[in-house]
Amino acid sequence: MPRIARRTLMQLAGGTALALPALHTARAQARKLVFGGSIPLSGGAAETGLNVNNGYATAVKFLNEQGGVDIAGTKYQLELKLFDDASDPSRATTLIQRLLDDRVDFFLGSFGSNIVLPTAAITERAERPMVQAGGGSDQIFTQGNRYVFGIFPRATRQFQSTVAFFKTLNPQPKTFSVIATNDAFSKTFAAGIVKDCQAAGYQMIENYLLPEQISDASSVLSSIRAKTPDMLLCAMHDQNSLLVARQMIATGTNVGLLFQGLGPQLASYREALGKHATGIFYSTYWDPRTTWKDPFFESAGKFAEYYGKNFTRPIAYHVAAGAACIITYVKAMQAARSIDPVKVRDALAATDLETLYGRIRFTADGDGDAVAMGPSVGQVLKGAGEVVYPAGGKTAELLWPVPAWDKKG
Amino acid sequence: MLAVQTILDGLVLGGLYALAAVGFSLIFGVLGVVNLSHGAIVMMGAYLTWFIWHTTGLDPLLAIPPVMLVLFGFGYIYQRGLIQLAVDRSSLMASMLVTFGVALMLRNLLVLVFSPDFKSITPGYAFSFLRIGGVTIDLVRMSALGASLALLGALAWVLNRTRIGRVIRATAQQELAARLCGVNARHVYAVTFGVSAAFAGASGAILGIVLPFSPPDEANWTLNAFVVVVLGGVGSPSGALLGGLLLGLISTGTSQLIGPAFPNAMMFLILVLMLLVRPAGLLGNAFAASR
Repeated sequence: MPRIARRTLMQLAGGTALALPALHTARAQARKLVFGGSIPLSGGAAETGLNVNNGYATAVKFLNEQGGVDIAGTKYQLELKLFDDASDPSRATTLIQRLLDDRVDFFLGSFGSNIVLPTAAITERAERPMVQAGGGSDQIFTQGNRYVFGIFPRATRQFQSTVAFFKTLNPQPKTFSVIATNDAFSKTFAAGIVKDCQAAGYQMIENYLLPEQISDASSVLSSIRAKTPDMLLCAMHDQNSLLVARQMIATGTNVGLLFQGLGPQLASYREALGKHATGIFYSTYWDPRTTWKDPFFESAGKFAEYYGKNFTRPIAYHVAAGAACIITYVKAMQAARSIDPVKVRDALAATDLETLYGRIRFTADGDGDAVAMGPSVGQVLKGAGEVVYPAGGKTAELLWPVPAWDKKG
Repeated sequence: MLAVQTILDGLVLGGLYALAAVGFSLIFGVLGVVNLSHGAIVMMGAYLTWFIWHTTGLDPLLAIPPVMLVLFGFGYIYQRGLIQLAVDRSSLMASMLVTFGVALMLRNLLVLVFSPDFKSITPGYAFSFLRIGGVTIDLVRMSALGASLALLGALAWVLNRTRIGRVIRATAQQELAARLCGVNARHVYAVTFGVSAAFAGASGAILGIVLPFSPPDEANWTLNAFVVVVLGGVGSPSGALLGGLLLGLISTGTSQLIGPAFPNAMMFLILVLMLLVRPAGLLGNAFAASR
């Protein structure tokens, strides 16, 4: 029988004594569930980035206040490791790589397809899941990624419900023009608009592509005044939307229907246009008045109430979408009874649940199901954003036809 | 009629570019410093105007004088306290890096103070327009052009007709000779920087009335100023005006004739061509003759 030398025994005992606190710490750390990522808190995408960030933070704060989450009999406190990527994709990729080096297993998305696209490529290679509420470009979901899940449907599918709404209008519009900016999301969103509108029988007059950042849209608006469509459909980010709307008003450029995918959701946009904002249409994915039930917050309304108590920033649908990312993650972990990234990924792919944000169900490619998670149609009425379609989620009666700029009161 | 509208839109846009660039041009011409924080100072002007308008309800055009005054002080201290130090201790290149660093700090300071959300200045007349024949005139943009021309004219008058203007020109042309005549060159440089910052602030105020803005826009306005100076020439209001108007016309003309996606591409193509063919700009360097 082999004998253990006294020195070896002492070394083993000493080593074990030293390792015990470390093991204890490791166990204590294992009870923390870390979600990493980058988010634009400064730079061009910061306005919406802050909303997504606040959504993540709200859900984590709430769940921790409830004592954490139970996964396979173990309680976990949630922790966010989110860093400001300054709306810069190259900075975001560096941050994500650093988080991977720090052994973060679960990722949340940044805001903006141009940032989500390269960061998702890194987490995909590392086989770490990313659930995100900031990237809708088709490219994110058509490259065979298995670990990337989006709360929004891919951009080219985001307009289907809006076209269905157009078909309900009386008098019925016949023609449309599109203005898009040259960025990953807006271009693909515009492609979806053109495809869906033409499929629905609307005739396209012009499809304008502008630079990513606009300081002047006068030439395009001159062209629109010369060849006026019944519907002008804008695929661009908030600040550009406001600029186009302002210039339309200031040049008396009237169209029957103005739709701006992003912009009118924001209070700052509506305040800037004042009474002129009345009647402008937009996509909206969520409203605090909806009746969705949530496994943790109970309802959309209670989520909005909790958010209001903890944050001064006005609530927006991106806040709810951010919170839904955390809820979806936690429910997937509970379903998988594990925090193994591969098992969680499989559970995410099989997700089908009702949350404060609505029904969460992903396509085989990872983007939000276009039917379950597609947008409602909003309209600015009396200075506020209201849902006017579909009928089930309506918060106000539609204003149609929309009066000309100078007739709005 | 579309051609007339395009030219008019180009001139209005060009007026904004010109005013936003004149400060950059003056600093480059007199001090030889490429001020990469110029756009950030433009944004400071926009935010200060927004703040005054938002809190007091004062018309944004009337807010221009106090904004100019504040930014003159800021520019004076910035030059004497930071840029002059960098130039003394190292080189003009160092001053360029310093201004780049300051631009980043100012951008983040604006985010910290005003949030990253975009702002918009919309006085009662913000959406007024005139239609003459088939041509539409956006009155706010037109008034912005008027204010730009008035301010550029005032700067030209100061530089050409006043004592301080003569001193600035003299210092820019021959610093040593100016010193021998008793000119305090450091003070003159700081005054020049202050004047440039004041004009950048005024352009920020006017831009704020015309466009929504947010802190990251500063980089665009520095870049635009650079292109305007390369086009028009260094150091003079007339160079900035010519460069600005040309840039505006190029922008709207390209948008109308080639496609709205291409104004930036055309702008940079012309920038490269100008740097190859006539690097001092169409009107040359206003202060180069005696150097």
